[in-house]
Amino acid sequence: MLMAVKNQLRITLLSIKYAFMRELLNKVTFITNVIFMVLNNACMIVQWVILYSLKDNFGGYTFNQVLLLWGFAAGTYGVSHFFFKDAYNLSETINSGKLDVYLVQPKNVLLSAITSNIETSALGDFVYGFIMLFIYGVTFQNFFLFIFFSITGGLILTSVAVILGSLSFWFNKTETIVETGNSLMVNFATYPDGIFKGFVKILLFTLIPVGLANYLPVKIITKFDLGLTLIVLLFTIFIVTLAFMIFNKGLKRYSSTNLMNARI
Amino acid sequence: MRKYLYIFKSEVMSNMQYLANLLLGFIGYAIMLFILLNMWKYLYSDPNEIINGYSLNQMVWYVIITEIIWSGLGGRKLSKKIAEDVKSGNIAYNISKPYSYIGYVLSNHLADVIVKGTIYFILGMILGFIFLGTFPEMTLLNLVFVLLSCILSNIISIFLITFIGLFSFFVEDSSPFYWIYSKIILVLGTIFPIEYFPVFLRGILKFSPVYVVSYGPAKLFVDFSWNNLISILIAQIIYIVISYLLCTFIYKKGVRRLNVNGG
Repeated sequence: MLMAVKNQLRITLLSIKYAFMRELLNKVTFITNVIFMVLNNACMIVQWVILYSLKDNFGGYTFNQVLLLWGFAAGTYGVSHFFFKDAYNLSETINSGKLDVYLVQPKNVLLSAITSNIETSALGDFVYGFIMLFIYGVTFQNFFLFIFFSITGGLILTSVAVILGSLSFWFNKTETIVETGNSLMVNFATYPDGIFKGFVKILLFTLIPVGLANYLPVKIITKFDLGLTLIVLLFTIFIVTLAFMIFNKGLKRYSSTNLMNARI
Repeated sequence: MRKYLYIFKSEVMSNMQYLANLLLGFIGYAIMLFILLNMWKYLYSDPNEIINGYSLNQMVWYVIITEIIWSGLGGRKLSKKIAEDVKSGNIAYNISKPYSYIGYVLSNHLADVIVKGTIYFILGMILGFIFLGTFPEMTLLNLVFVLLSCILSNIISIFLITFIGLFSFFVEDSSPFYWIYSKIILVLGTIFPIEYFPVFLRGILKFSPVYVVSYGPAKLFVDFSWNNLISILIAQIIYIVISYLLCTFIYKKGVRRLNVNGG
């Protein structure tokens, strides 16, 4: 069992490594994409500079905490889109029959299907996340907590994308729902949870788990809490398992198309 | 001109086939609006407070209009399509056809925008009324001019995004330029009106695309005045001419570099 997991991890990392090397073929485009993504994210600071010129505290967050929230939003997005880019194209992969090429391989179908491409610009998001952490104030503990929560948040985002993408096993034309669901995770992640109240706030910690991917990590970095850290970790394990289960259940319904495809 | 009208009409008909998809797409717009509504409600502790000349109602209506314009535009899709046309060599098919590529892109995408924009406008008005319980004060004639200004703003956006997409003739991937353009429009014109920025920046913004693409039509909607209308329409017409010339220029330069292999 352990050997199988080890082998699977090795294959997954190799798949990501080769996708990365493919992107590096054009170095100018690679560097431009990363730098412009950092600039693109940095534009949004203007919004918060203006808002904080009108009010000192926004939804219980100081200006620096909002920057950290942005850092997490970018960091988790970066991890998810860099390592698991194709989780966001899962609907199309299933609908067009492109899953066939992964089915014939003696490795985990879901992991193979979602790790065969990387999104170069997501590296810029990850870099931006670290810049925000440095502005907030970096310590040895913060640094490792930031990496840890970027990974857990990235896995939560990816799991949501896989669950939404897997709907294509049961329903047709799910692209808009998938797109809306994924953009919900990103849009809510960049605004402090204090501005939302009641039912919406409950949603943010359950069905739309932005709270566990972004809000709680900001609170933990501001004031370390082992209990909250464990909650984030357990939820990550739960949602990753759920994503695998839903995908595998759906996979039993999958029927191939006559699409001829090759992985080059 | 008739050929472009024909392209426009065909695209409208094609879009009408996917109305359910458009309605589902509105959910994303409604959620973004909900987030911004919460943000502004939090900022205006007293609903009668005036910040930088805007009441809470005016601010929310401003964002509703700018978001309708921005979401209805589908700029990312357009930018990707043009970049793909250039990279895949598809653009070569247009060279032999009896129409201009820029004209084709405009009539094709404007049809998309009109169908989507109309639906978003109707639903946005309903949503705004549910959120706020009132409409801004204006006559039917005022509304017609606001809609005209919205259409002109979309024409400018289509030209500017086409211009950015055509960078693909010179760089492999033009999308980073689109990211920056979209963020500038979003932050400097969609979320906030120009009045929220420092005085020195306001002067610059009044000459920038932000003024004609998002601020102008939304400002007319929340606070209509004939003086504003005239200056916004004049600025929009000047921008249409300039952005069209820019597109034609970069297209002519780029096509000379075009190299298509295979068939």
